[in-house]
Amino acid sequence: MPLLAYEQPFLIDSPSINPMSVFDSLAAWLESTHVAQVVGTSMWVVASLSAVHVVGYALVMGGALVGNLRLLGMIVPSVPVMDVVRPASRGIAWGLVISIVTGVLLVSWKAVAAIGNDIFRIKMLLLLLAALLHFAWQARVARNSGVDGAALKIAGAVGLLLWLGLAVAAAAYILFE
Amino acid sequence: MTLLELCEWLYETGPAVLVRESPYGFQILVGVHLLGIVLSVGALMWLDLRLMGLSMTRARVSEMNRSLAPWFLTGFALMFASGLLLFAGFATAAYGNLFFRIKIAVIVFAGLNALYFHFTTGRTRPEWDASPQPPAAVRFAGLSSLVMWTIVILAGRMMSYTMF
Repeated sequence: MPLLAYEQPFLIDSPSINPMSVFDSLAAWLESTHVAQVVGTSMWVVASLSAVHVVGYALVMGGALVGNLRLLGMIVPSVPVMDVVRPASRGIAWGLVISIVTGVLLVSWKAVAAIGNDIFRIKMLLLLLAALLHFAWQARVARNSGVDGAALKIAGAVGLLLWLGLAVAAAAYILFE
Repeated sequence: MTLLELCEWLYETGPAVLVRESPYGFQILVGVHLLGIVLSVGALMWLDLRLMGLSMTRARVSEMNRSLAPWFLTGFALMFASGLLLFAGFATAAYGNLFFRIKIAVIVFAGLNALYFHFTTGRTRPEWDASPQPPAAVRFAGLSSLVMWTIVILAGRMMSYTMF
């Protein structure tokens, strides 16, 4: 007689309860696509994608740098905070679009290995945190004219540290993957 | 002494050997080089966009320059110091690399562009310092800088795939 559902042994590795398995299967699917195979067989495609990826990254970091330095009050003090944060956010957003599109393509042919790489996971986690924090919290703090200088400074310092962490993780991933 | 001979000599110097043979010297230098370019181009692009009249147009150009210069100059210093050491370590391979040659040529032009701006176009700054839309020559200087540094990043990354 087959076991009833509640009698089944509880498996830690069961795909239904391991949240990482969603990423694992997504990575496996990505690797199986035609695009991934094209990328993986051409050094020139990888090199060109990587070059554009770094341009997007410079845009992100440029936006993060001036936006957060203005929140900290360290640059262009006579310019209203939003006059700096608004274009900076636009730079970050455009940079993210470029970096994420090229980044997904770059990683596509080795997605399973990347997902299993600790530095890659840290890089993705920092990217998610920094971007969420920027658009959900810092940009909002900047928009709120009633907010005092201390709140702006804390937002700027946290933002700068997170993006710097991402930059370090990104360099580490290139060099130690 | 030809350029190639200079590269061969550089390749054998102490620091160059250290770059090639120390356990993490190469990785650390590349990391610093990347941080340097992001800091310099990331800060400089906002001055270029302001010169072009495309961003932060309520700020005076002189204030943008004063605020951003310490950041992009620090970035350039990090980039040049790490770049020079990396070049020494792989001088002979870099010498023959097309993307390295493009990158160096464009850096020279970007430097000349900045010098020309500083000594000629920039002299008239009091006339357009606060103007949201600076004159065409100023906007062109900003655009050239932006385009050239983008090419430097692209060629630099292509170089690392084609050199070894």
